[in-house]
Amino acid sequence: MTQKWAQHYQKAEDFLGSLKFAVIIILCFTSFMVAGTFVESYYGTEFAGRLIYKTWPFMTIQGLMFLSILFAAFRRLPPKKRLYGFYTIHSGLIIIGIGSIATYIAGIDGSIFLPPNTPNREITLSDDIFRMQMPDSGRVIIKKLPNSAFASVLDVSHEDLKLLDYYPYADKEFRWADSEETYPPEQSVHSGRYLIANPNVTQDFTLSLHPEAQEFESSLTMGLLTVHYLPESLAPCFAKSPASKVVLWDSRNNSCFTPEDRKASVQTSKTGNRFFVIKDGPRLLSFFPEVSPWPLDDKFQTVQNSPIRAFGQKLFEERPNLFLFGKSTSYFDKNDQKWVSQNLEEGKPIDLPWMGFELTLLEHQTQKVPTYVPVPVLPIQKNGQLIHGTDRALLVQIQNKKYWVTNNRPIALMIDGKRAQLYVTKETLTLPFEFVLTKFKMDKDPGTNNPASYESFVRLFSDKGPTDYHVYMNNPLKYDGFTFYQASYSQDNNGNYSSTLSANVDPGRAIKYFGSLMLIFGAIWHYQLNFSKKTQKKKTELIGESA
Amino acid sequence: MKGLTLLLALIFSTQLLARDTYFCRPELLNDIPAQQNGRVKPLYVHTTETIKYLSGSTKYEELDATTTYCLLTLKSASLPIDIKLKAKIEHVDVMKFLDLKDGEHYVDFDNLIDHRQDVRVEFMKQKEDSSYKKSLGTLMSQIAVYQNIISGQDWNLPELNGSEIAWVPFNIFMSENKFKAAQETSSDPFTQIFMQTKAMAEKNVHTKYKFEYQFTKLHLHSWALVLTLLALAFLVVFKKFNLALVATALTMITQLVLISGRVYISGRAPITNMYETVMFSGFGALLLAMIIGHFKKEKTYLFMGLAYNMCTLMMMNFATGMLSSSISPLVPVLRDNFWLSTHVTTIIMSYGALALSWILANTVLFRRQFGGGLTSLDERYYSDLIYTTLKWGTIMLATGIILGGVWADYSWGRFWGWDPKETWSLIVLCLYMAILHGKYTSWIPTKRFVQLVAAAFMSVMMAWFGVNYILASGLHSYGFSQGGALFLGSFFAIQILFLIITANAKNNGPTDGGDSSDPKLVKNS
Repeated sequence: MTQKWAQHYQKAEDFLGSLKFAVIIILCFTSFMVAGTFVESYYGTEFAGRLIYKTWPFMTIQGLMFLSILFAAFRRLPPKKRLYGFYTIHSGLIIIGIGSIATYIAGIDGSIFLPPNTPNREITLSDDIFRMQMPDSGRVIIKKLPNSAFASVLDVSHEDLKLLDYYPYADKEFRWADSEETYPPEQSVHSGRYLIANPNVTQDFTLSLHPEAQEFESSLTMGLLTVHYLPESLAPCFAKSPASKVVLWDSRNNSCFTPEDRKASVQTSKTGNRFFVIKDGPRLLSFFPEVSPWPLDDKFQTVQNSPIRAFGQKLFEERPNLFLFGKSTSYFDKNDQKWVSQNLEEGKPIDLPWMGFELTLLEHQTQKVPTYVPVPVLPIQKNGQLIHGTDRALLVQIQNKKYWVTNNRPIALMIDGKRAQLYVTKETLTLPFEFVLTKFKMDKDPGTNNPASYESFVRLFSDKGPTDYHVYMNNPLKYDGFTFYQASYSQDNNGNYSSTLSANVDPGRAIKYFGSLMLIFGAIWHYQLNFSKKTQKKKTELIGESA
Repeated sequence: MKGLTLLLALIFSTQLLARDTYFCRPELLNDIPAQQNGRVKPLYVHTTETIKYLSGSTKYEELDATTTYCLLTLKSASLPIDIKLKAKIEHVDVMKFLDLKDGEHYVDFDNLIDHRQDVRVEFMKQKEDSSYKKSLGTLMSQIAVYQNIISGQDWNLPELNGSEIAWVPFNIFMSENKFKAAQETSSDPFTQIFMQTKAMAEKNVHTKYKFEYQFTKLHLHSWALVLTLLALAFLVVFKKFNLALVATALTMITQLVLISGRVYISGRAPITNMYETVMFSGFGALLLAMIIGHFKKEKTYLFMGLAYNMCTLMMMNFATGMLSSSISPLVPVLRDNFWLSTHVTTIIMSYGALALSWILANTVLFRRQFGGGLTSLDERYYSDLIYTTLKWGTIMLATGIILGGVWADYSWGRFWGWDPKETWSLIVLCLYMAILHGKYTSWIPTKRFVQLVAAAFMSVMMAWFGVNYILASGLHSYGFSQGGALFLGSFFAIQILFLIITANAKNNGPTDGGDSSDPKLVKNS
């Protein structure tokens, strides 16, 4: 029996340690790498890792290479003097392999984000996780998400929570969804998609008054132009172009009127503000339309919850403001010094008085909710940044209701009357010490805006008290087994710099370095880079004889 | 500036010549320092690079770059300058967009400035990153540079501000007060101003711009090419080995001065852009070939070294669109001379050594197909020579990759990250290791070995140029520039075509009955 096993082993050793197997496995390894670099070029570094470098087929090939190197050495035992270099090379490669395995299993590779003067001790790692926090009870549920390149169906349950689908690379797709609640007819819940374009710029946008449209606002700014989305019921009053340049809106019956309709005269106060008074049931309401939409009551107190609000058109004449009321629009034309109102028909552009812009109503919905739904895509990278597939999206089911959670949009829910926050995020690690970025310095090449160096000055708080360190390119900080490197930086609108340090623990480092040294010395030994005289003779000179 | 314009107009209105160059004389201006693109350099270097960037040539009609640049700058003073610098348009779609007639490749920059907005709109319209969009992007940058020049804002001159040097654009530098002050002491106020600036700069601008001026004027890369061609001619055509050695020594001295000069000017190892890596690999390979050839007493190595050096010098002299000789500041991560001069140097030297094997393999293939006269024993002999260069190449490549890993570990905290540049260097190593391992088996006979070595160099070209010019992603792609992809595609096409043509060529057969595929012979080298 033992002999049989010995024969099997010998066969396996002969096969795995053969040169032909080595050549085949090297070529397989090479083919994977060639594919990996092209995949990376189109789809980004992380996708290449998920599709090739960090997958089991590629790991298996590396494992087989490891075996090939090992058995090739075994086959040439007992040691022969002429093969000492060969043994050293193969031992070096095996040691590098062991070091890499140590790094893979026990290493930490993450980053720590340091906003100015804000302490942080959380390292962000590379694995994706789903996290549900319930602040009232302090409960936290964390589930690891698959490291796959493509969409995957999950089968993970935790009490009432189910994780259904996970898209590691998703784009948002616009859809109209049915409203979940019903709303009274006097409530404006309409939404619209529009296109604004001139020869240089084209932009479509969606605005909504629907309470369930969480991702869409009722106003938007495009350069100098501000777009306001208002209830349809206001349109008739804008169309009247009231001489007072004031429109009032009554939210109780979703209707509009003008001071002229109520025969209210607009006067000017001693302080130069225009005002008028209207009667609302038994109350007298005074409006200062250029000061506030809210009226004052008899005691000159602001009525914050007033159902009637004033809209002073004069405030919107100086700069380009576009008012959309679903299927109609109003704006102030500075050239003609008058308010213009126009009806919009789906697909028919109208001219606007600014920079040759045209406005087109693409779609108008009275009840439906505009939403973005994640769809799985192949990521596309440009200059090292993803331009498609930037969302990671997870479909979760809680108490028979489904929700999309993405890394860019966590959601907040009430579950049985308790608050819950759901995130798709990265795994984190809490350091036993804390960092503060005290100063960030960026030198630029003289006369240019190109960074010449970036440097972080950090204060590290540990049990021993605070210590200051200076981290910059090629000068990392080593502390408590961690090494921190200057990785990147960002700047906020106020010009304050934040710094990102990469944080690293590598237990295989020394092993890999030792293996590398063995490899190089072994190679030199093996090839005996001496300049011994040639042993062969030639008949023909390749380039001709010397004179 | 308006007052000055009037003064200039009055002065120059009396000097109407065929083409008035005013004070724009190269001998006056060339060695004035200018701060451009993050470093101080002589105006000569800046004007040569800029006029070439704009027009594709370092001259405008009979005028040199400095005179042209200076006159264009004087347009900011509203002088009647009759220079109509033209942009060279090579992309067919850009030519169509600009309504150029068939065969017409040039457009006046003054016209382009009027249509700058149209070019921008056309650029914005392109959704995909096509070569058309890139060409439009380049055109936009060229127009911006031109506009900067003619508004007097591109030329930065030194002015003493207390004890500090301030770099001010020409339109501010040439103030009315400065001009009047110079006018009081000299009949040639402009020469006076520039001479004073030069004297001040010599005392206060502590950089190497004067050396750079003299150094650049020497055109050492052209001399190195002439000497290499001469050495090759002595070796191959006239068969004068000793003379070939002398010419090679002169080439190497010239290249050493060229490399050292760049090291002195830039203050860093000479391997930070494509131009420098090509320059260094040619020199390194020739040096290696000389050393091995000397100890092995084999002059074929000299041929390999010279032939490869000629290729690199040809690229440096003629492929100037792809390889820019400009010295620019480095991105922060590369600013470590120790790692630059160990990791990159080793890698580039390994590429040089592998290039020697590529030269010899192709030469053997050429002789086998067209030259005749090689026996299988000869081929085995030359395989040994190839094998020697492969040994050097692979050992240096493995060392370089490991050094790169150590640098990456030291700088970024990871030994290996599957970055395209490092992955491709490992691919190169694996391919050569597969060939070397296959040579031990009966899989690769000598005949195929030569072919495989010639083909394997394409992987070196991919790692060296392809990652930057084709893949252009990842941490190492600092050297991305256009035109490289075309060069690389042509290289691959020619090499593959040559391999196909020579695929079935036969040698003259063995002369001693030996088996050409005997692997043991390789081990003995």
